[in-house]
Amino acid sequence: MIRRLFAPYLEFAKKAFAREATYRVEVFTNVGSLLLRVYLLRSLWTALYSQNAAPAGIPLHAMITYATVALLMSLILEIDGTRAIRERIREGTIATDLMKPISLPLYFFSDGFGQTLFHALLILPSLLLALLLVHVDVPALTTFGAFAASFVLGYLVNFFINFLMNSVAFWTLETFAIQLMVRWASDLLSGQILPLTFFPGILGAIVQNLPFAAIYSTPLQIYIGQLAPAAWPAALAFQAFWLVLFAALSFAVWRAAERRVVIQGG
Amino acid sequence: MKGGVARRRPARMPIIETRELRKVFYGVKRAPGALGALRTLFSRERTERVAVEGISMALEAGELVGYIGPNGAGKSTTIKMLTGILVPTSGSIKVAGLVPYRERKKNARNIGVVFGQRSQLYWDLPLVESFELLRAIYDVPPARYKENLAAFSELLEMDEFMHTPVRQLSLGQRMRGDFAAAMLHDPRIVYLDEPTIGLDVVAKEAIRTFIARVNAERGTTIILTTHDLADVERLCRRIMLIDRGRLVYDGEIERLKDQYGTHRTLIVELCDDNGTFEVEGAELESRTGAEVRLRFDRRSISADQLIRRVADRYCVNDVSLEEPALESIIRRIYVEGYAEPPPAELVPAPALH
Repeated sequence: MIRRLFAPYLEFAKKAFAREATYRVEVFTNVGSLLLRVYLLRSLWTALYSQNAAPAGIPLHAMITYATVALLMSLILEIDGTRAIRERIREGTIATDLMKPISLPLYFFSDGFGQTLFHALLILPSLLLALLLVHVDVPALTTFGAFAASFVLGYLVNFFINFLMNSVAFWTLETFAIQLMVRWASDLLSGQILPLTFFPGILGAIVQNLPFAAIYSTPLQIYIGQLAPAAWPAALAFQAFWLVLFAALSFAVWRAAERRVVIQGG
Repeated sequence: MKGGVARRRPARMPIIETRELRKVFYGVKRAPGALGALRTLFSRERTERVAVEGISMALEAGELVGYIGPNGAGKSTTIKMLTGILVPTSGSIKVAGLVPYRERKKNARNIGVVFGQRSQLYWDLPLVESFELLRAIYDVPPARYKENLAAFSELLEMDEFMHTPVRQLSLGQRMRGDFAAAMLHDPRIVYLDEPTIGLDVVAKEAIRTFIARVNAERGTTIILTTHDLADVERLCRRIMLIDRGRLVYDGEIERLKDQYGTHRTLIVELCDDNGTFEVEGAELESRTGAEVRLRFDRRSISADQLIRRVADRYCVNDVSLEEPALESIIRRIYVEGYAEPPPAELVPAPALH
């Protein structure tokens, strides 16, 4: 019974996976640009560190590891699996989607998940190629386990932020400005480009507690050992808090959106 | 007005029934200009647009009904309410025993939908993969799925492009794929929204044949919305005509033709194109060169009589007779509104000459 209930969603994920696989050229350019960025970041950090020894207590090898792992994570995290929401609203196909006996939020989730799985396959080959350019620290197995758990939580927080952002299209049709804002904020405040511990004083305290920190910063801090094992539960709880909040918000927004569609015709 | 078919089989429950269905859309009143736009941000003034005004209909299982009306008449609003994605402002709907907007997902299992303007197929994937996805969505038993796919593939000749990505299909092929997609789960009711739009004559005919067969062989109830009245004339016995949100006619096409098709046009080709032309009992519609078009009421003069009158007075090369197409009848109703004509007995008998 439960299997049958989830069968369509499994199929959505499979189809999304297959769909992503049809764009082969894009895959190669993605991996290529990733390697280029790995190389550039290594050069950049090496140059910066030659002026300043170990800012914020992060040694150079850890910093390069941080930057490289962040780039590998971005292979998955930069996939906006729910962009289909705004595309379907703009094209008006959301109405036909509603004529199907499925839960649309679950549909978008499984579709996004299928895309993610495909791009996750690229991580290992990208890592192997990146290792030709840079040295990446390998953490202890328990550390890696905590990192993996934290990464999954970060993925979900990221998913729901995107979901909320794309759902705005139900009211505005156009989401470009919002996307640009959130993108910009998240690039800077998520710790993808530079560790949030680099932000000074009160600013550091603020950005480390924003939801964006849950996406890149928390898993990466665990990976490079900036967070001691004793601090892991609190860090994971911090991510879980934002996850629950955004998930609840997403469902509330979705309900309001669905209401709007059935009353106002979308 | 009740449809003729409904009257003939009174014992059965209608599969689709609406009573006094009404839908009003509310919007914010927009003032013109930049200042107006600013004012709109704070204004509380609301506008009302009545899309559907008191539509009552009843369809029997297995009927194939044409749902016709000019753009903006309320056709798609009605269909959206029937499919459960729009809540009516007032009135009631029952589709296969369900209230669609209350049980959207349950209702979705009973229905299939085809939109000529948008596809429900997966753009990037081979056609067959979209079918597999739909199999999972509707939980179609594997044996049934195979059977249906084989049947549709043959009927719609889809074999050659079954494994082609949808984005590479021609419009005709894509539409055939969309039809199969809408019917794979054996829906009891199918809504077709302009299914032949943009298709060439061959593809149109293939689609029409398919609709007729599905209706006849599977007993699927079909509501066909279209601007191509040839679709309707070919497929439907009953039409529902909607105009400005109101149902203005619901009944057999033949009856409508009888009522409105009282006028015929006689086209006469004269031997020469000079001199005046006048004939009693017919109205000169147009005259281009030697060709004269005469409009006459077949209740007051027969074609035979009119031809004789013309031939008595003028030198005639050729004559032909034009019956009013459904299209011109419906155009007239859009322009003039529908009025129940007086019963036939009251019409004076044709005068003898």
